[in-house]
Amino acid sequence: MLQTDVLVKDVSESSPFVRVTFSAPHLARTLVAGRFVLADLGDYLRTPLFPAWSDVGGFDTLVPPDHPAADLRSGDSVNLIGPLGQGFEVPTTARRLLLVASTARLPVLLPLARQRNQGFGKNPGFSVALLLSAPTAAELYPIRLLPPALEVHVATTDGSAGHPGSALDLFPNLVRWADCICIAPLHSKDPATYPAIAEIVREVRVGPGRGFAQALVVPPMACGVGACQGCAVPVARGTKLACTDGPVFDLLELQ
Amino acid sequence: MSEDRADKLHPVVQLAPNHKVGLALRNPAMPAAGCFGLGTEYAHMVDVETLGAIVVGPVTAKPRRGANPPRTVPVPGGVLLHTGLANPGVATVVRRYARRWARSPVPVIVHVAGTSPDEAAACCQRLSGVEAVSGIELGLPDTASGSAGSTDVDLLDDAVAVIQAARADTSQPLIVQLPLDSAPALCEAAVEAGADALTVAAPPRGTAWYASAGRFVTGRLYGPFILPLALRVLRQVAELVRVPLVGCGGIHNVEDATAFLQAGATAVQVSGGLWHDPACLARIARSLPPPAASQ
Repeated sequence: MLQTDVLVKDVSESSPFVRVTFSAPHLARTLVAGRFVLADLGDYLRTPLFPAWSDVGGFDTLVPPDHPAADLRSGDSVNLIGPLGQGFEVPTTARRLLLVASTARLPVLLPLARQRNQGFGKNPGFSVALLLSAPTAAELYPIRLLPPALEVHVATTDGSAGHPGSALDLFPNLVRWADCICIAPLHSKDPATYPAIAEIVREVRVGPGRGFAQALVVPPMACGVGACQGCAVPVARGTKLACTDGPVFDLLELQ
Repeated sequence: MSEDRADKLHPVVQLAPNHKVGLALRNPAMPAAGCFGLGTEYAHMVDVETLGAIVVGPVTAKPRRGANPPRTVPVPGGVLLHTGLANPGVATVVRRYARRWARSPVPVIVHVAGTSPDEAAACCQRLSGVEAVSGIELGLPDTASGSAGSTDVDLLDDAVAVIQAARADTSQPLIVQLPLDSAPALCEAAVEAGADALTVAAPPRGTAWYASAGRFVTGRLYGPFILPLALRVLRQVAELVRVPLVGCGGIHNVEDATAFLQAGATAVQVSGGLWHDPACLARIARSLPPPAASQ
């Protein structure tokens, strides 16, 4: 990991998000889905930024309009620490990848949605499904912006699009189908739904292997390198640190 | 860095002039306990060779899982942290890290959480023969063992007992880290009990409401707003004792560090500033005026 000043190459609207493109070739190969950088955006605690897209020149992040990164302008310099943490690890043998997220957290999973024809996405018959939730249709991530090959299942709380009610209603059938599941919180503020999701996985799959279901947990972080011990996440036998052991954890290990 | 070059950059700082071995530093700047991990976490980001020492830990006699989450709560201008002294225990720490510490280009100071005399004694006994450990920094209980009904006298007695226990069981120089709000009251007794130097001060405690967990979290506070509090206390302590003082609290840049040296500190520790900007530590170390010239 490194602490570096990087240039903001571009800032553009990508409704419902703001897309911020960083010129950071040194992060291109290592900032994979679920890994992050800590950005100095003016607050005392640095802000974690996750890549929604990366290439040889740098990476894009998608943030809500009220996020501090949305105030950046093209040409700004931002001090970043990273890449940090352990990202999603899709087995090389995976053929049916299920992504689960609320619209607010979807950007973290977007690099996996675009994996087709790369890495594990080269597997014959490889397919990716997305279970996407939002309170209303108006707050859904625009489906037209997602990769065309992605199979999208939608649930809205008010029933204005897709399945009316909880995304968890659709979850069991998709768990039966998948051989790897990557989850960002269904609710944007905390992973409160993880126990319910874990319960479904245990019920539907017999003896799911380690890493079958992986979940993102992002508590406030002070240092990002494990020095302060401040981002503990409760797991089956004690705690782990989100910044170094996570922020992606085995779902069934989380308490 | 060669000794010649280091000595040209700064005169040697001596933190334990009355100790038989002493604790000589090439630079007055170092990280604070609880902020630098066990010495490896910042290996790729902090140029350790520029520093006077590294302070690792805290360590306790037995492994501690630490506090239940949430441990970190942002507060205006800073952060509140409650780790519950999470660490694998002094024996495991020594087994895993002593060889790495032995390769450190600067002295390694281990912070012992002196929650009780027995705890302090057990840790110091284990660390006493470890050559890679150049000094012990001893944290004190900042509430007396009798808790609610305790008095300042109880706190003083508890602190002295912890320091005496540590002193009896360590051959290394002993730096005692004083609590911020009781540092002036404790400093003379700490020196009398065997402290070679004093760190002024441990981060103060506060309480914050963590809305998403729906509960209060009590822990230590970090941020620039600590600096005037710590600086005031350091000046008070400097009037009372004649041992080297290590200034700590709210240091985020060279001006902050220089203020502590001007106030009577021999060396400085960077705490939360390190998390916000890891590069600031080496920047401070490179920019500090020689301690003799600053006083």
